[in-house]
Amino acid sequence: MGDLVLQKIAISGPTLASMIQRLSSSPADLDGLLFGHVTCVAPSALSDDSVQSTPDSQLVATISSFLSFPSLLSFYDSLGRVDSSRLTLTNLNQKPLIGWFSFRRKTPLRPSMRESSVTRSLPSNPQLYLPIQNASSESLFAPSIFLLFTTPLQDQFIQTCQYRAFQYQSSNLCFNPLPIDIVNIGPAFRGHYGAFSPTSALPFLNCELRSSSAINECRNEENLIGMKRIAKDQSELDMCAEGMQIGRLNQLIGPEAVNYTAGLEDLYKKMLCKIESLARLVEASSAKVVEQENHNRKLRYKVARSAGLE
Amino acid sequence: MSLDGFPPFISAQLHYLINHFPDKIKVEQVLSGGKTYTGGLDRFTLLIPYCLDYIKWDIIYNAEFPLAPPDIIFGTEDEDFHPLHMTGRVGEGDLKFRNILSDWNYKDPTRLLALIQELRDRYMAYQKKRVGEVDDDRLTFEISTICSREGIEMQISSGAEKPEEVKFAVPLMDMNINKMVHGCPWRHPQKIYLQVIYPVGKKYASTPSAPRLKLMSTTELRALFTIEDVKLPSWLDGMCMAEYLPHLEESLQKQVLEAVSLIDIRRHFIEALAPLLGRPLEADPVCTSLAIYLFILSISLFNIDC
Repeated sequence: MGDLVLQKIAISGPTLASMIQRLSSSPADLDGLLFGHVTCVAPSALSDDSVQSTPDSQLVATISSFLSFPSLLSFYDSLGRVDSSRLTLTNLNQKPLIGWFSFRRKTPLRPSMRESSVTRSLPSNPQLYLPIQNASSESLFAPSIFLLFTTPLQDQFIQTCQYRAFQYQSSNLCFNPLPIDIVNIGPAFRGHYGAFSPTSALPFLNCELRSSSAINECRNEENLIGMKRIAKDQSELDMCAEGMQIGRLNQLIGPEAVNYTAGLEDLYKKMLCKIESLARLVEASSAKVVEQENHNRKLRYKVARSAGLE
Repeated sequence: MSLDGFPPFISAQLHYLINHFPDKIKVEQVLSGGKTYTGGLDRFTLLIPYCLDYIKWDIIYNAEFPLAPPDIIFGTEDEDFHPLHMTGRVGEGDLKFRNILSDWNYKDPTRLLALIQELRDRYMAYQKKRVGEVDDDRLTFEISTICSREGIEMQISSGAEKPEEVKFAVPLMDMNINKMVHGCPWRHPQKIYLQVIYPVGKKYASTPSAPRLKLMSTTELRALFTIEDVKLPSWLDGMCMAEYLPHLEESLQKQVLEAVSLIDIRRHFIEALAPLLGRPLEADPVCTSLAIYLFILSISLFNIDC
């Protein structure tokens, strides 16, 4: 399989901002995984000057989320070999892996010995390869993106974060620097959202459900199956909205669609409630994580100091 | 050099490296990678002598994760240097290098030295491979004739503005100069090198130009023998290193032997001066290159009777 060369990397403003915030607040060096998708973008046919040859369709990788690990040598060992038993689809929750990132303060902006090794061994598990969206061929994209963050060598009063993205090409064993496009909201960026795809989709639900009182009219067996199905669909809806009764989905289709707007707004309001309660849960668990990390760091200091006493 | 501010496990390894490396290693740009300085300093740049120059490698430890081995960032010109994935070098040396990293013991002060030495050897092999791939017939010939000599280091240097050049550092004269000097205090073995720089030639050059030659020596040798005073024999057209080196070595050997014998002569001279001028104020006891005396001249008036 030949190398699929990326033209550039796109990342949305909020994702990059949240990554940098995570990095700046970390007490030490950090690394983690990048998730996203790869799209085939047809080049614009509008061109004033006569182009010598039409360029091939461009591959753009979009980073949609990341996962950071609080300690070094998390999914790789000291020789930079990736532990493929840790990077399985189940461990990653089926998230599409496109590469990894590394953050180290006060170091030059080039890949290090171990980082080269990790990037090189990341594509070793073919099960993690991604299909390319809008592509004509069936080729798969291997996770080969490396995003490096550093801070300047001199102390600065302004917090500065430098970053550079590379794609590792196994054909000529080199790191190819890639330009990064930051996609923001606003009229100038409308075109970029052509390749947008949501990362959290609504589950497929049966909207033609009658309200629970109507089901009492059916026979007993159907009643049980029907109730089980309703309960299952309700639990699926509860994953993305809070307090929304499954029967209300009726309002989104059929003759009741006149109340479409109201129904949709209600759905969105309940989804926001869900997000809010999730945020509260995350806050509580983050506090616990910080406590645990502090405890771990104290233990590591003890270990580091004890080396001198030997 | 003070190594304050490092956590104990890093300073132990760094101290050991500086004291036991066969040549003089320098450390600069010591920084802390933590958000605050509480962890201590944990990254620095090593200037490692190679090919009569220094190569700069950034060593990245992590004060927060003492159990992990350090990571290394190589120079800007060496993007293709991947010591963990060198092809064609499978064998004992490879296994030894990988074991250093996989069995990293942060409490062992000798580890960093072992790592740097292994990496430097691999760097030498990498440069040798790169030089071997250069598309220049004369260079290929030169390499084939001198590769049997021990201890030659070579390096390709190329930049955006300057043309590609291949630099050789040839150690001259297999003599143990330290042994020849009575009571020498030098820690490292003193050696003389010839630096030869060839431009990577274009095919259409009819007569290959002479390479740039320079004699260099280890710093402490200056007390015995000043390298700058030596006049290099001229490089005739069409000469090659295999022809040039024996002449140079012969003449250098004579000069060094002469310099060593001069030490004894000077020592006798100073001892002979003792009854006249007393003990010297300051003298170099090893190479007797320097002796300072303090004496007072008395001025007398003479009457001349004609």
